[in-house]
Parts: sequence; C-alpha cells; structure tokens
Amino acid sequence: MTNNILILKRLDLGQKYLEQLDTAGYTLVDMNMIEPFSIDDKYHHPTSVVFERNNTMYAIRSDWTRTLMNFNSNYYSDDIRFGYFGPVVRENESFYQAGVELYRANEKDMIEAVLMHMNFVEDYAETSIKTMVINNDQLIDLFIEKYQLSEDIRQLIYSKNISELRRVLGKDHDLYKIISAKVSDQFDMVSKIFGDTKAMQAIAHLKEEITEENTKFILDLSFRSPQNYYNGLYFQAFLNSNSPILSGGEYNSNAFGIGLNLADGGLI
Amino acid sequence: MITVALSKGRLFDDFVSYLEKYELYKYSKVLQDESRTLYTIVDNIRFIFAKGPDVPVYVERGVADIGIVGSDIIEEEVFSYLNVSELPFGKCHFALAGPPNVEHFNTVASKYTNIARKYFNTQQQPVSLIHLNGSVELAPILGLADGIVDIVQTGNTLRDNGLIEYEKILDVQARLIANKQTFYTKEDSIYEFLSEIGVIE
Repeated sequence: MTNNILILKRLDLGQKYLEQLDTAGYTLVDMNMIEPFSIDDKYHHPTSVVFERNNTMYAIRSDWTRTLMNFNSNYYSDDIRFGYFGPVVRENESFYQAGVELYRANEKDMIEAVLMHMNFVEDYAETSIKTMVINNDQLIDLFIEKYQLSEDIRQLIYSKNISELRRVLGKDHDLYKIISAKVSDQFDMVSKIFGDTKAMQAIAHLKEEITEENTKFILDLSFRSPQNYYNGLYFQAFLNSNSPILSGGEYNSNAFGIGLNLADGGLI
Repeated sequence: MITVALSKGRLFDDFVSYLEKYELYKYSKVLQDESRTLYTIVDNIRFIFAKGPDVPVYVERGVADIGIVGSDIIEEEVFSYLNVSELPFGKCHFALAGPPNVEHFNTVASKYTNIARKYFNTQQQPVSLIHLNGSVELAPILGLADGIVDIVQTGNTLRDNGLIEYEKILDVQARLIANKQTFYTKEDSIYEFLSEIGVIE
C-alpha cells in the first residue's frame, strides 16, 4: 500500500469511527497534546516523553486513557462516555489511537461497547473477528485464595511456564491442568470452579453475546494486557493478523476503555 | 503453518537428538540435512535456523510462533513472550571462574554482564564488569580481569586455560518459548506440535 492510500485509509477509518460514536451518543474529544504530568504517572506510563517548563512537569500525550481521565475530572464531569481519534507519542515514535472510555460503567455498558466495536470492525473489514482473548486478574486472585498458593505463582501463570507449574503444583492440580490445557478449553474448566463469581459471570455474559460462529472465544489466565493499569476484565480481538484489532479493559474499579488498532492504515 | 525458530550450534544438535528419542524422524532427518540453509519446511511446520540471541527476537515479533533457545539467552535479555517449558537437553551452568588462588574478584569479564551483575548484586559484592563478545578465558590470562562469568558444560575449556570454577551461579537448559498472540490465533497447530514433542501430555 502506498503512503497516500495508508493516510487516506486511516483518516477514512477515523472519520467513520467517530461518526459511529457520535450516533451512539458518545462525547467526542480532541485536545492539546501537551498535558500536565505528575511524576507518579510515570509508573503507568513509562514511555511518556516528559519535560519541564517554569517549574512544572509536562508530558506529550502518550495514552488517550490518561488524557480522558484528566479531561473528565476537570471539565465534563457529567458525561460518562467519550470517544477520540488522534496522535500519541511514546518514546521516539508517534502514532494514531482511536477508542472510547466509559466511566461509572457497569457490566452491561462494557458488553455493549465491546459488541459495538466488534460490529464496527466486522462491517468495515467485511470479515468476522476470528479470535477474542479475555482474562481478568481477579481470577488469579481467586485461585491463589482457594488453593492457598504463594504469590510467586502469579509470574509462572503470566509466563505460561508449564514445566515449572508442574514442578511446583504437581500434574494433578486444577491450576496446572487449566494452564496446560488448550486455551480454548480454559473457559469451561475455570467455569466449573469459579462459574458463580462476578468475574466469571461477566466473561460468560460476553461470551453469550458473541454469537458470530466464526469467532473463537478464549479465556486464558496467562493472557496479559500490554496496559498495566487494567485491573479487572481485559481483552484483545484479532482479525487475520497477529496484531489485535481491538484491545481494552477495566481500570480504576469502574472505568472501561477500548482501543482500535490503526497501524498500517487500520483494520490489519 | 507455524514457524519454529531453532538456535544454531550445540542446542540444535541436542534438539535433533531429542526428536530422534521421540522417534520424530520426519523432523530430525530433514533438519540434519537442511541445517546449513536458512529454513526448511516439514508438513505444517517451517523451521528457521537462527543465532541463539536472535530466537527470542523472532518469537517476540511474531515472525516465529515458537522458539527453542537456551535459558542463558532469555535470562540475559528482557523480551516479551510466553516462557512455556523447559526441555530436557542443553544442560550446563553459569559459573564464576578464574585462575587458582584468587581471594577477591574486583574485575570480572563476561559475555553475560546482566546475569553477572544480578549475581554480584545478590552477593552484595561490588565488582567492575567488562563486556566481551567471546573467548572470555583470555581476560584473566592477559590480566584484563581477575575472573570470568561464563557458561560451563564439561569444564574442559576452563581446565585447558588453567582456570578453575569458584561458584556455580545458575543452571542453564533449553527452553521452549512462544509468541503471545499467535498462541491464540494458531492455537490448534501450536498445541499439536507441543504435544508431538512431549511438552504437554
């Protein structure tokens, strides 16, 4: 694809996406790329480019989620659903992000937002989402609590270290059986143990709503979001590429964000 | 089709022997014949032959779905992948070594300075580290360093150069790593291969 086509395709996608959000009642935002920055933010946004002017710290926008959180608390405190499309800078690279942030979101709001994004992608790409991967760190907390496991087990789960989990837990342990099973079998296996928990019920409800038969729905306890501020349910959805077309998750207890991948003109 | 990145060298030979032990001759025979090329395809598997430190790069970037690599490589550098399983070959260890009668190591040479740094930090031992790309045994012989941190397999190389092992630092063995995305998008083919080579039952 030539640069012209890539640029035009990205803008077309951005425009159609924002129109979709507008129709769905989201508040659209476009803001200054230079933002006030607290050094405490560095942990969650380590790739932000930070600088100082007149004894005040600033950062170039590196993540719309952080931008929207500041925006929401400072300006439109009554609005709870925001949509955006615009550039961000991380380390030495700039690229475009598009997505939504929902505040005071309940399970129904989150599921609706995920489904709206899946439908948008499938309509635009004229193909179905092939794979959806989901996890919730609270499930690992539940395993640690139920089986009285050491916190060290968390890292072995995240890295899917099957051999070490077998050594530590034994091959008959429920958790070892789950991690070493095919990832598409994990949902049923975890449901048998924690099916009545809020975390699993939210995942089950989303699974029920994804009726497209070509979409493989995967729960994997080892799946990690690249955004380390997600602390509840998070997911990635894939078309045919190895890069996710959608990714999102819960943070700060009741906020929920979804990002649309715009690399290579979007919808890769 | 899935892609498996194999480390060239000793680990490659060990992997071929491992395949033979599992009677997976369809792979081992082709790999033995083709190891001087860049890649080869057997059924649904494309094997690519890479330098050890490049294997995690291929896997992290999704060029390869699976990698067979020494744990020395993945302990030294930080990559993002699934660290799925140890494999029962390629066993050796990192050691602190030097000429006999060294009472205190002030300067140590190594190709693996991150592993060495971690070890000396754990020991709360202030040491100056020098990074070398190979033949680290030369460093104490020529007076560049008091000792070395390096991989020891049989100990013959140390003995041949008049060095002795002072401390075992870390066990090393082959590991199977996997890309974080294609583990989902190519699940069936990946699990079939993992099962075939005995990583999962």
